[in-house]
Amino acid sequence: MSDRENNPELSFLRIDNVSKTFGGVQAAQDISFKVSRENIVGLIGPNGAGKTTLFNLITGVYTPDNGKIFFGQAEIQGRKISTLVKMGIARTFQNVELFENMTVVENVMVGQHVRTMCGFWGAVLRLPGMLREEKQSRIDALDLLEFVGLENVADRRSSELPFGWQRLLEIARAMASKPKMLLLDEPAAGLNAVETAHLAELLVKIRALGITLLLVEHDMSLTMEISDRIVVLDQGRLLAHGTPREVQQDEAVMTAYLGKA
Amino acid sequence: MRLRWGKNNIAFMVLFLVVVAIGIWIENQYYLQVMTFIGINTLLALGLNMLMGYAGQISLGHAAFYGLGAYTSAILSVHYNVCPWLALLGAVLTVSLIAFVIGMPTLKLSGYYLGMGTLGFGMVVHVLFREWSTLTGGASGFVGIPPLELGPISFLSIRNYFYLVWFILLASMVICRRLIDSRIGRALRSIHDSEHAARAVGVDTENLKLMIFVFSAAMSAVAGFLYAHFVSFISPGSFGFLASIRMVTMVVIGGMASIWGALLGASLLTLLPEWLHAFADYEMVVYGAVLMLVMILLPQGLTRGLMDIYERSRK
Repeated sequence: MSDRENNPELSFLRIDNVSKTFGGVQAAQDISFKVSRENIVGLIGPNGAGKTTLFNLITGVYTPDNGKIFFGQAEIQGRKISTLVKMGIARTFQNVELFENMTVVENVMVGQHVRTMCGFWGAVLRLPGMLREEKQSRIDALDLLEFVGLENVADRRSSELPFGWQRLLEIARAMASKPKMLLLDEPAAGLNAVETAHLAELLVKIRALGITLLLVEHDMSLTMEISDRIVVLDQGRLLAHGTPREVQQDEAVMTAYLGKA
Repeated sequence: MRLRWGKNNIAFMVLFLVVVAIGIWIENQYYLQVMTFIGINTLLALGLNMLMGYAGQISLGHAAFYGLGAYTSAILSVHYNVCPWLALLGAVLTVSLIAFVIGMPTLKLSGYYLGMGTLGFGMVVHVLFREWSTLTGGASGFVGIPPLELGPISFLSIRNYFYLVWFILLASMVICRRLIDSRIGRALRSIHDSEHAARAVGVDTENLKLMIFVFSAAMSAVAGFLYAHFVSFISPGSFGFLASIRMVTMVVIGGMASIWGALLGASLLTLLPEWLHAFADYEMVVYGAVLMLVMILLPQGLTRGLMDIYERSRK
């Protein structure tokens, strides 16, 4: 993880006047904000506020109609997803999407895809470099499983895991690409209180590794507890941006959430 | 993982010994011939299984690549007097190039649409075989494809041809196994499970699908080459829509995402018509009924089904 520390600017995300329209619906409208490195940033807002759209814009699933997105020094809008993953942007999904017919450790190993090299001929000829990489790849994957607490189920099929563990596996898989920034789409959805507490601990541990986290979350207490900054969206627009305390006292936010007094 | 590799190596060794034993002990030319066809068909099913079973992309036009391999090799060795082994190289390169060009736009489709796209391609190629008669001999077929020989070894002998086909097949099985147990194989299987998630973790799904499509087409071309020089006469009928469907059936009956499934499926589909000659007029009815029964009783295919039965009987 030391290469990250040598490049302080690289994990810096800047959203600059980004807009996206879907058939007349403004899903994102002139959104601008910055994310500092090694922060946990909570992205909140009512349903339809544009949180997932923003996620998909940052991770390259959508290209913005207008505006720019900077990751470090580089403009990243419109780039291929695999390029973005290689640059250090990883994500998880709102509805866990694992590779169900593969084992737990294989799921994590697929996550290493952009950090490993072996191609067609390497695999067919079993070149020494490929065997070494394969061995290392498995060791790294097992380390990551230990990090999230799933080392004992490494060789089980991923679909056999209870839901809470599948969430953890998805996080481990995303971490396998050695991201500088990790985007989590509702990581606590469907988790019980104990699992949510474990998740909160894990996210703080991930931040301690120097990874910037951006999370969409409906669980307010979790978001407010662990986030360094909060970004509030409403109807595709940026409503507020600040520390959890600032945001909680913001009038516009209170109006959006509680209705006009 | 280590354990599974070990098991597979043993299985490959056993298969190798069985092949050698069959070559030594079986004198009956007809049996050897059927066995050779099983080998060629397994090669076809194996290639298609890499695409369908592992990467989850359907192709209903794969017989076109089989035919293109056969015709390219035939045309090169007869019309241009090219040595058949060079013709093989020519066939594999030509088919790979065609698969690349066809795959680029077609693989952007998925599901039924990919099925339709590849189906259309297969039909166009079939028409080409039939109508471009100056080159292909048209509907009456292409005759006089030279037999293979390698130094002093003549593959006019069915026994030698049987060995040639099965050694190429064994090598292909090892190659496929290695590919599947690698980074590339994991990425392929991830596309099968969730293309969406595969892309999100950084797998370049478009490139990878294209790569496996070309690989699978190239294997079909090798099978086409082996077929053409074995029977010395080819006609468009062997490479039409029904041939494509037969390939898909071999994969599904044998078991998706299984190397041994390709062998079982191809064996069953090659042997069934031979066994069913006794039924004369009702041959096709029985053939269809057997396939339906297998699918109803062992919906996961023969490999999985037989393994399940074995495990249940042990308990």
